[in-house]
Amino acid sequence: MIENVQTASAVGDTTQQTTSMIKLENVSKYYKTFPAVNNFNFEIGRGEVFGFIGPNGAGKTTTIKMLATLMLPTDGKLSIGGYDVVKEPHEVRRIIGYMPDSFGVYEDLLVWEYLDYFAALYKLSPAQRKRATSDVLELTDLTTKHDAQVMSLSRGMKQRLCLAKTLLHDPEVLLLDEPASGLDPHARIEIRELIRELCRMGKTVLVSSHILTELADFCTSIGIVEAGKLLAAGRIDEITAQLSGNVMLEITVKGDPSIAIEILQERPEVQRTTCDGRVIRAEYTGQADDVDELLDYLIQRGVRLLGFTRSQADLEDIFLKITRGTVA
Amino acid sequence: MKLSNPILVKEMRTRMRGKRAFIVLTGYILVLSAIIGLIYLVFTKNAPPSILNTAGRVLSAVLIYVQMGLICLIAPTFSSSAISSEREQETFGLLIATLARPSTILIGKLGASLSYLMLTLLGSLPLIALTYSLGGVDMIDIVKSYLVMMVAGVTFCSVSFYWSTLIRRGVLAQLVSIVTVIFLVAAMPALAMFLTSLAMNFANGPTTGFLNVTFLMLRTNPFAAITYLIIPGVPNPPNSVWFHTVPLWITQVLFYVGLTTLSIFLSLRRLNSVRKWL
Ligand SMILES: Nc1ncnc2c1ncn2[C@@H]1O[C@H](COP(=O)(O)OP(=O)(O)O)[C@@H](O)[C@H]1O
Ligand SMILES: [Mg+2]
Repeated sequence: MIENVQTASAVGDTTQQTTSMIKLENVSKYYKTFPAVNNFNFEIGRGEVFGFIGPNGAGKTTTIKMLATLMLPTDGKLSIGGYDVVKEPHEVRRIIGYMPDSFGVYEDLLVWEYLDYFAALYKLSPAQRKRATSDVLELTDLTTKHDAQVMSLSRGMKQRLCLAKTLLHDPEVLLLDEPASGLDPHARIEIRELIRELCRMGKTVLVSSHILTELADFCTSIGIVEAGKLLAAGRIDEITAQLSGNVMLEITVKGDPSIAIEILQERPEVQRTTCDGRVIRAEYTGQADDVDELLDYLIQRGVRLLGFTRSQADLEDIFLKITRGTVA
Repeated sequence: MKLSNPILVKEMRTRMRGKRAFIVLTGYILVLSAIIGLIYLVFTKNAPPSILNTAGRVLSAVLIYVQMGLICLIAPTFSSSAISSEREQETFGLLIATLARPSTILIGKLGASLSYLMLTLLGSLPLIALTYSLGGVDMIDIVKSYLVMMVAGVTFCSVSFYWSTLIRRGVLAQLVSIVTVIFLVAAMPALAMFLTSLAMNFANGPTTGFLNVTFLMLRTNPFAAITYLIIPGVPNPPNSVWFHTVPLWITQVLFYVGLTTLSIFLSLRRLNSVRKWL
């Protein structure tokens, strides 16, 4: 655990060459005495897409609410775009777009009235409001719903409407808290496409999820949290470089894999084994060139091998490694 | 007129669009008309001519009393869900995250309730014009009575707005608001009466301290203020009592303006520290 926390801060230090848009320094949040967020430190560079990953109850929503100027930290400093979130909430609100994990909509308004309301609250002039409304409706593919009752929208559409609202004032930074949760697979894909589009527009995005694979293919950096602790944070390539010194082995066996796992675990250089059907994945900490010794050993112990390959650690491996398999 | 407060615009839209506004407003006018109509019928059918002359005065008085009563019942419901409903339907966070200042929120929400209140009061103007035309009351007293009602309505709205920032559940905020109004208009005079009856038992009559406290409490009451305005021959407070030269309605209005100011101040303070309780 401790080594992982060090990893997080070490990675944080190396991101200084990019200008950071979001920065957390020793941020903690206690609910009464319960530490929901425990000493978080990380930075997100301009234009980066930061995947905030962790299981339910990890502290993602709490962190995002503090960044969205809706909650005060118990301790520490948060800043967005150089503004102190605690001391200058108004300036922060100007540059952020926030989409909560659970939210309501004013059911008795029309779609355009809903957007016009928020656009006005963001101080847009009537002409700008009209433009912004049609722009965000187009971006979220809701143009045909301009005059529809908010009440009549499906769950996925409401989610997209909320995202549309989030984009009205063209914020530089987006804080999206589980934007795809509770949606059917089709709507999830639509939301993901939208976030991808926002990345292309050059916005700095912090997006949370409890499902790693949902974010894996478009994040440039990640933060992994669990039970109020930040286990790692930083650019994916940097984390990968730091953590993937070890070789991942994929071993396919004939017969019962559990026997092979037991044999593997006898070896001190094999650190972690997971099993998926007949395929065993093991992390090998020894010298990469000496993998053959392990292969010899397995054969010698009578394990019937169908396959034995080395693979590069990917995001999923890193995730598993960092969370030690406790996060599914 | 240009409405530049987005919250006010939105509130007016949804309030006036719903059936509820229409029903409350119509019900309000119907209740008033029915009562006035009934009394008028009774008067014209059965009353001897000597009493008939007083019809205008009685009808005006009844109209104003009933209206004051209705305001006590409906004004607290106008803004008691202003903030709690946003919290209940999980829209409050989105609102706070915008550039809306606490004053924008207060003006928008309270403004909508107050316009609605004014609409209700204005709705009764044709009726009061009718009873006034029967004679027996001064126009100026009617105007003062309407001022008393208006200020009371504004106060009830402001106080219940404050409750809605404090209490998360809308129903509870509504209940507490109504209880507050009942306390203001009923509990205070009840206490005053209790003190008076207690004072009657004193060997040497009530002490001046007692009388002062009793009349001060009476001075907080809008019904008492109206009584002094439209019922002729109500005995004035004794000369020994504090403020005996100041008309009761003036102190009552001032007291309510004070309450309104306090509620608004507390509401703004509460909204300013929103990050501690959201
Ligand atoms: N208002 C609250 N009061 C007390 N505990 C809370 C509150 N909100 C969240 N928590 C607790 O804090 C922890 C982190 O919650 P949260 O930030 O919502 O996690 P996540 O978004 O990662 O699922 C959880 O254990 C949750 O039970
Ligand atoms: Mg959450």
